[in-house]
Amino acid sequence: MKNFSVKGICEEITFSAFFKEHAKSLRNYLYYKFGNEEQAEDVTQEAFIKLWQNCADVPPEKAKSFLYTVANNASLNQIAHQKVVLQYAQKNTHVHTDGHNPEFLMEEDQFRVKLQNAIAGLSEAQRTAFLLHRIEGKKYQEIADILGISVKAVEKRIHCALVELRKQIDNIR
Amino acid sequence: MKEDVKLAKWLEGSMDENELREFMASPEFETYRKIKDYSAELVAPQTDIDALYTKILQNREPKPVRKLTPWFARIAAVLFVVLGVGYFFYTTQTTNHIAAAGERTEFSLPDNSTVVLNAASEAQFRTWNWDNNREVELTGEAFFKVAKGEKFDVVTPLGTVTVVGTQFNVKAREGRFYVSCFEGKVKVSSKGREIMLTPGQSVIFEDGKNIAEPSADGTQPGWIVYDVAFKKEKLENVIAEMERQYNVDITLPAGTYSLYNGHVKMNDLKTALQQIELSYQLKSVREGDKIILTRE
Repeated sequence: MKNFSVKGICEEITFSAFFKEHAKSLRNYLYYKFGNEEQAEDVTQEAFIKLWQNCADVPPEKAKSFLYTVANNASLNQIAHQKVVLQYAQKNTHVHTDGHNPEFLMEEDQFRVKLQNAIAGLSEAQRTAFLLHRIEGKKYQEIADILGISVKAVEKRIHCALVELRKQIDNIR
Repeated sequence: MKEDVKLAKWLEGSMDENELREFMASPEFETYRKIKDYSAELVAPQTDIDALYTKILQNREPKPVRKLTPWFARIAAVLFVVLGVGYFFYTTQTTNHIAAAGERTEFSLPDNSTVVLNAASEAQFRTWNWDNNREVELTGEAFFKVAKGEKFDVVTPLGTVTVVGTQFNVKAREGRFYVSCFEGKVKVSSKGREIMLTPGQSVIFEDGKNIAEPSADGTQPGWIVYDVAFKKEKLENVIAEMERQYNVDITLPAGTYSLYNGHVKMNDLKTALQQIELSYQLKSVREGDKIILTRE
């Protein structure tokens, strides 16, 4: 946690720092939720504008929670989830890739595609929790704060997400 | 319950050793391991965060406008209505005094002027802004002792009496407007005609015409001490006055009668009737509130 000045987030430097720290996470979270970049960015923008307008009433330590609350409320009006399309990082080539035979590499690529599809097939609740952990590297506690649920509930969602993903990938009905 | 979150514990790296060993030996472990590894390589689509920031900064104007909180607006609205209605009622509120037939009422006005209402009369005035608007609406008859001050008006359906610090009697009944001045000066206006009265003077308007200017003897009208003087008064009007004062119903045989001159007691019905009987050769029979006069 960064220390914000007494004047709080109304100070532009503070607001800017806060934005840099949280904007990407928020936007990604909303993307996992909606599966739509435009929607995610609109809601992110909306949430930060609300924060800015209410900066005098929101103490810095509450700013993050305020931000996600606004975003979650705004999300209630959003509909039509599209398929979540995720990319693999370029530097993904495993260290152990070298020395493996082409068959293995092909299997690996096939698995990646299967995983992408399986994630897209998850329920919104499971997908959001799973990706916040896997991509954003959030702790279960943080995820619980963002989603407004208990840590136990987050663990349950992650667990179920894993079970679901394996079912999809291994083709178990 | 623990079973439900086993995989979450594992993903987080907080699974205990025994469980982990058991899990790693299970056939499904390989898939889970791959999911864990490959999902770590995933990234969300790139976005231009700086452009987003610029957009947000553009939207920060207009600066947050502090809105009047709804509860404040509500209280203000309620107060406004309550005060408005209260003010309306306060400024237009009138005070009413009524004397029924056979009764009298005495009351004070806001400036301590006193008014004695004769039987079957009604007076009405506004307390608000009294000092600038001393006005009493009167039907019937009343005696006024007015405190010194600015203009004082008595408004009746038959005309208006305007005075400055005085004592006077106003009688406005059955088309007859009778004003007597006992002290100070009185201006009487009725249907465009005006007349000034000085102490001891009276004026009678009937149907808008000045029919007589009898003198006003003494310092107060006779009715105050239950002794009413009539001068060239129609007998019907004398009877009507008696009906009001005694709250009775008097039947007079049809015919024409000479005008009445003299006093009539207004607190002794028997004596009053005798006076009328003697003057006009009549006989009276009383049944409760009804008195029937017949010719002898």
